[in-house]
Parts: sequence; structure tokens; C-alpha cells
Amino acid sequence: MPSHTDNTMKRVKARGSLIALVFAMGFLVIALQAVSLQVFKQGGLSRKAEVRFGRSDTVTGKRGTISDRHGRPLAVSIAAKAIGVYPRKAATIKNVPKAARQIASLLKIDARKVERALQHPKYNWIKRPVPPEMGAAVAALKIPGVEVHPFHKRVYPSMELAGQLIGASKIDDIGGRNGLEYRYNDILSPTTANRTVKWDGNGNPVDVSSAPLDEISGSNLVLTIDANIQDIAESALKEAAVTHKASSGMAVVMRPKTGEILAMANYPGFNPNNFGAFSGETRSNRAVAAGFEPGSTMKVFVVASALDSGKVKQSSIFYCENGAYDIGGFTFHDTHEYEWLTLEQVIKFSSNIAVVKISEIIGKKALHNALKDFGFGQRSGINLNGESKGILTSPSNWNMVETGAIAFGQGVSVTALQLATAYSALANDGMLVKPWIVKEVVSPNGEREKTFSSPGEKRVISPETARFVKKIMASVTEEGGTGVRAALSDYTVCGKTGTAQKIGPNKRYFKDRYIASFAGFVPMNNPELSIVVVLDDPRSGGYYGATVAGPAFREIAYKTLDYLHVAPENESIPEKLLLALKSEEKK
Amino acid sequence: MIDRRVVEHFDWGLLLITLILAGLGLVALYSAVYAGNDPSLRPLFVKQLIWLGAGMGVMIATFCLGPKEFERWTPGIYTGCMILLVAVLFVGRMVGGSRRWLVLGPFTLQPSELAKIGVILMLARFYARNATTRGLGFRELIKPAAIVLLPFVLIYLQPDLGTGLLIVMIAGIMTLFVKIERRTLTMLVCAGLGLAVAAWLFFLKAYQKQRVLTFLNPDRDPLGAGYHIIQSKIAIGSGMLTGKGFLKGTQNTLSFLPERHTDFILSVLAEEWGFLGTVFLAFMYCTLFVWSLNIAHKSKNTFGTITAVGVTAMLFWEVFINMGMVMGLMPVVGVPLPLVSYGGSSVVTSLMSIGLLMGVSMRRFKK
Repeated sequence: MPSHTDNTMKRVKARGSLIALVFAMGFLVIALQAVSLQVFKQGGLSRKAEVRFGRSDTVTGKRGTISDRHGRPLAVSIAAKAIGVYPRKAATIKNVPKAARQIASLLKIDARKVERALQHPKYNWIKRPVPPEMGAAVAALKIPGVEVHPFHKRVYPSMELAGQLIGASKIDDIGGRNGLEYRYNDILSPTTANRTVKWDGNGNPVDVSSAPLDEISGSNLVLTIDANIQDIAESALKEAAVTHKASSGMAVVMRPKTGEILAMANYPGFNPNNFGAFSGETRSNRAVAAGFEPGSTMKVFVVASALDSGKVKQSSIFYCENGAYDIGGFTFHDTHEYEWLTLEQVIKFSSNIAVVKISEIIGKKALHNALKDFGFGQRSGINLNGESKGILTSPSNWNMVETGAIAFGQGVSVTALQLATAYSALANDGMLVKPWIVKEVVSPNGEREKTFSSPGEKRVISPETARFVKKIMASVTEEGGTGVRAALSDYTVCGKTGTAQKIGPNKRYFKDRYIASFAGFVPMNNPELSIVVVLDDPRSGGYYGATVAGPAFREIAYKTLDYLHVAPENESIPEKLLLALKSEEKK
Repeated sequence: MIDRRVVEHFDWGLLLITLILAGLGLVALYSAVYAGNDPSLRPLFVKQLIWLGAGMGVMIATFCLGPKEFERWTPGIYTGCMILLVAVLFVGRMVGGSRRWLVLGPFTLQPSELAKIGVILMLARFYARNATTRGLGFRELIKPAAIVLLPFVLIYLQPDLGTGLLIVMIAGIMTLFVKIERRTLTMLVCAGLGLAVAAWLFFLKAYQKQRVLTFLNPDRDPLGAGYHIIQSKIAIGSGMLTGKGFLKGTQNTLSFLPERHTDFILSVLAEEWGFLGTVFLAFMYCTLFVWSLNIAHKSKNTFGTITAVGVTAMLFWEVFINMGMVMGLMPVVGVPLPLVSYGGSSVVTSLMSIGLLMGVSMRRFKK
């Protein structure tokens, strides 16, 4: 090592200061940058830090629940997830087909659909709603851009029960499509609130300020409907429709004293969980939306108004022309040939000719007014979607034949709800109580926001007339009356059958198509229920209202009275029980 | 046997500086692994303590042996490092597209870290025997160039350009220290610049160019490659003068800082302890470098002097590159902050180099 001398070392060491200079320059650069970042730019960078992790997020509340009068849920929103794709992040997915397959197998949908969603240029949804656990499984895949959001799924737990009445909501829980969901959308709909969410660098929310769910959720609707009675009505209606091969049917159960609707049934049923699978016709609430010619069920109103006007007496009798009555070149017929009939018999046997004669006595104007008083030809005010007024034309255009036909319910169109309301007025000693269906609006935190009652009542006939008509109607279900099939053993049923010829598209009556109905109330002395059953175009096992609708009426009445524990009228108290009560008194 | 004077001359000051730096590292690491919401990082703190223990063991062994012993073993150490570098290319674990890690049971080893020491020793041994007062000429530089180029190529193949260049830069400082001819130096600088241009045009891989471009303008790709730099600058800047406080850094706790326990540990420290914390850390490093250059100066053993300079150069470049990178002055390359960043290989290598410095320092009176 020739050059390895002390002298060399000294010179080499002197170069240490050169190295120190390099180091010093390095540190100067670092120090200047530290000053720049932490002293001069700190304000802007601090704001950036705040903005980076504090972002605003919109939360949507929950749609209100629709429940029956006892709080049984008919429409509820449950927690679910929505799976969306944020395209800018999704662009970084390395293997799109593989990611799509993974998601598709979890969601049980077509992988190609997922692939399209992942490559879509705009924000879009893969699927919503999905169950929370499915959402968690998708989130666990950690695929970039695939986001799992809180969402709600609208569920109709009772399926077809009151389907047309309830209706369905839109997928995002915010809009209603039909039924009460549409009509009361403003009340049911949730609102949104902004909240600050802090996100960490992995895109996971941390420190989420809780949303004021009570303030942003929709309010709940409590209906006057009783789910049990609704089920009774729907089952009976369906049985009658199937037995008699009717194309459709409707039934309304109402409480005459208060106007509360207890059931509103339509056949065929509509399941709001599967909106798209049903036609618009099936989805509509025909009990309020569809007008039909009522036929003989109208006769009681003609008799009632004639009595009330004083032009016909309780003791009046009518000659029924042996079944054929000719006016203005047109012949009216009765199904049986009668000579003289009392008022009671007119209704009991449902004579067309007698009712035509009564309408001649009171005149077409009085007839029109009477029908109008009973609520026909106008909306009931129930606030339901698509409610029909029915058809009651102006009497100035009625000729004698038309007036006569209207008297027995042809040439006039009514809804099942109008009929039930009008029958309730007879049951209610002449007081017409307007029907209603929403009982309460309850806030998300359980407070009652609004309580409803009947939109109004008015007297349409005197109590005496009403009671007399009631007695006549009771005879319909007695031995020999047209409505014996609607009779109950323990209660007196007041009712009237109706069998109307169906009108065709060319404004001419079909020879062989009918609308069969039965309307009435029960029990006679203190009516708890008024019930209307209507079956459209029965094709098998008869077509008379008595045969087709009567048994369904009976079924609904019997089961509902039993369910409501209405005391039987005609039942004698067993002797043993009487003895027991007496011995009780002696003590 | 160990001379009594050796024990008496133990460098307590260097030990204190080392312990302070390691302590600062532990404080920042604790925050990085415990304050966030990622439980998978938590065991790293205890692991780091174990590594520090192991590193201290290596450090003690190193200063006990002393530079003379090391000089004797240098060719073996260098060869061993090269074998490991070759091995890692074939059996290394693939992480993020490169093979840098050898898996040894529960531990992983980064041979390129050890290779730095290997190259420093090998170069020191060569220069100690060949330094002249007139400076090194071209012919004398061929051997050192080969010593540096072999590990550089092997590391470049992993690929890990950052560490490869770091070795070249360490060698550069050592070569400057022992002096080269002015003519040779000028030509080397020109050749280096030419090579850099050629490298950009022909050799750099797309991701490397990307890093350089992103470094020049982080907003090019704020969610991708620029993310590290932007987030790190936000963390450092929002630390302001006095910091957000221990465990309170939002960038840290909310996982915005990538690699916050390893290469970006400085951002955690700067965010939570502010400018004062950063300056204190930089001051400790300065003290370390002044201290170790002083050791180099005082040593009477040429190999010891040059080794001390090489080790200091290594620590300096690591600190400079890491701090520059974290503060957005340099492209993102995988260089940890010595003694502070989490990582077994880094901790052991750093403490081993401190051990080398101590060994030189304790024997300063000897030739």
C-alpha cells in the first residue's frame, strides 16, 4: 500500500468538510420545504384536510306504515340496501367480467347485466332493494366503485289483502303508484336531511352524525279497515266469484252509524308486492272506481222517498198487471205474475211494475232528488283514488220509460261504495253518514298528528220512514222473500237483491249478461254492518243477485258479527243460564 | 481480546442520539398503528420493538468486532449480499409487482438493505488501499464501478430503482471523499447526465416514468399515483406549527396516509407534532451526521474513516430522500427513514451501521 500514508489520510480527511457541505445543503432544502409546508401553506393544506374527510351526505327517511284499525301492518318499509356503481372508480376494476360474476352470483342475477352496469358511463344501480345481508356480502368483495347504500324496501306483508285499496309505492320509497300509497303520498313520503359524514382514506364512513329519522320519516296511516273483516269479505267474494264464474266482483263492509269502512274488497286480487304482474284494470279499486247498473237494489230508495213525500202510504197497495205493464209502447215485466201487492210485498217479491207505478206517482223530479239525496251521481268524499261519481243524468231528459227503468235501477250507474253508503242511511234511521277510510295519521315517533271522523252527515228521510223500510227489507230475507239465502238464524238481515242486465259497448243491454248484487244491513234493530256484494257477469249456477251474491253477503255478515261479538238478536237465553243468574242474585 | 481503552472510549453520545431517534420513531409508529381504525396494523408496534432489540444485538456485535475484523471479512460479506440479491430474484416474495423480500420463517428480509452495507464495506476496503493524493483516475475507478454496478443491476431487476440509485449515490459520496481527478469527475458528471436522458428514453419502465411525472405534478392523478404525495403534504401542512397532538392526526387516524407506518412515518410525526416536531427530528439527524463525520475525522484507521463516511452517506441519503419524498420534493421511491420507519431490514441495517460507527469511534486512538 504505497500511497497509504498519514499524509494522504490528512488530505483525504480534509475533504470531510466537502461532504459536510453536501449534507448541509441537503438539510437546507428539507428545512425550507418544511417551513413552506408547515408555516406558509399550512392554512390551505389544513382546509384541504378538513374537506377531504368531511363530506355532506343525504339521508332519506323511512316511508310511513299503512296499518289497519288495530295497527296490523298492511304496508311497511323495511331496511334494505341498494347497490350502485360509481363509474369513475369502477373504471379501475382490473377484471370486469370476474367482478360481475362475483356480484351476480351473490345477487342471483344475470352476470351480463352486472357487467353492463359496471361499464355504464353514469351512476347507475345494479340492484335495489336487496336484503341487508346480501348488501354486506357485496360490500365485502371490495370492488372499486361498487357502493352499497342504505335503502328501504316497501313490503306488503298481507300480499293481496286490500291490495287495490292500499296500492303500491315506487321503488325508491318516495312516490306512490296507486291506491292510498298514491293518494296519501305526501303524508307517507319520507323527506331527506343532510348530515356530515367523515370518511376515512379507505372510503369507509366514520363518525357519522346520526340522522334525525323522526323528522325525516313519513307519517303513518291508520285505516278504518279491519284486516280480519277485509279477509272475511275477500274470501267470501272470491268463493262466490269462483263458484259462479264471475269475471269480477266487489264488496264493501261499512259501519252505518259512523261511516267507517271496515272492508273494501275486489276480485280478482292485486298483490302490490308485484305491481307489474297485474293489469291496470285489476289494480284499480273497482269498489269505488267502477260504476255499474244496480238493478233492484235501487227499489228501496224509491219506496222510501215515496213514503217520505206522503204520496204513498204504508198501507198503499199496487196492481201489478199480471206481470206485464205497457207504457209508451214499451212493456215492463215482472219475473212472476202478481195482481195486488202491498208495499212490503213489492220489495219482498221485487216487483218492477209496482216500482214503476210508484215512480209515476212521485214524478221523475222527486225520484231524481231522492236518488241524489242518497248520494248517487256524486262522489262520496272518501278521498280515494279514481273514485267514480256514477251516472245519474238530469231528469229533464227522462221519458216515461226511462223514469220507470231508473226506478228499478236500470239506466243509472252507481258504485259499490255509494250503494253501501245509501243502505247505511236506511240502517241509520234516515241519517246519511259519509264514508271514510283513514282513521288517523300518526307521526314517526308515535304521536297522533290527525284524527279523522266522517266528513259529514245529513238526514235524507224521516226516522219513521226509515224504520218502516227496514221492516220491509227484513221481509226480503224471510221465508218466501227473494233474499232468503242471505238470512241468518240469530240475526235479522235487512237487504235487497239486485239483478241488472249488463249494458254492452253499443249501449244495448246484453240478453244473457247480468250484474248480481245483494245489499243490506244487519242486525235489524241496531245495525252494526251494512254490506254490499256485487258480482259481475256470473256464468255458472244462476245469475240472480239472490243466488250469486246472497250467500256471500250471508257469509260476510255471519263471520263479521261473530268476530265483532255482536249479541245475537233471536237467541233465547238458555234456561240453565237464567237459573244460574237468579241464584246469583239471591246471594 | 477487547482492549480496556476500547471500553473506556465507548461513544455514549452516539448511543444517546440513536436512542432518541428510535424513540421518536416509536412515538410516531404507535400513533400510526393504534390511532387508525385498521386493527391489522396493531401488532406491528410490538414487532418493531422486537426488531429494535434484535438490531441492538447486531449493533453490539458489530462494534465489539471492530473495523479491523470487518475489513478482513468484507469480501465474504459482499459475496453473501450478492448471493442473497440473486436468490431474491428467484425465490423472493412478490409484493406490489416486485420481488424485494426473502421469506425466512416468520420474518422477511430485504437483501437490498444489507447490500448497502456490503457495498460500503467493499468500497471502503478498496479505497483504503488505493487512495492517492492526486485523486483517482479512470483506470482506478473501474474496480469500484464494478463493485457498485453488480448490486445496482441486481436490485434494478427486482425492480427497485430507488434503492439501486441510493447505492450509486452512497458510492458517489465515498468516491468524492477519497478524491477523484478533476478531469475524470467532469467527464463522469457529463456521462451521468447523458445516461439519465438515455434512461428516461429507453430504460425506465412506465411506472417509473409515471412516478417522476406525478412527482412533478401530483394533481395529474390525484386518486392514483399522486395520492401519496397530496395526502402526505396535506398531513404535514395541516400539522402547522405545533401539530394536532399525539394520536390526533386526522390524516393518520382516518387512513388517508398510505404506508404511514413505513415510508411515510414522517407525515404522521409532522401532522401530530407540527413544524416543531419535524425540526426536532431533522436536528437529531443533523447531530447524528455531524457526530459521525467527526468519528470519521478522528479515526486513525483509513478503512474505518472511509467506512464511517460511507455509513454516514447512506444514512444521509436515506433521510434526505425520504424527507424529500414525504414533503413532495422528490418522486415516491421506497426508501424508509432510518431508525424511525417500521421495518426489520431497515432497523437492523441502520443499527448495524451505527454499530460500525461505534466500532470506529471506540478504536479512534488505534491505527
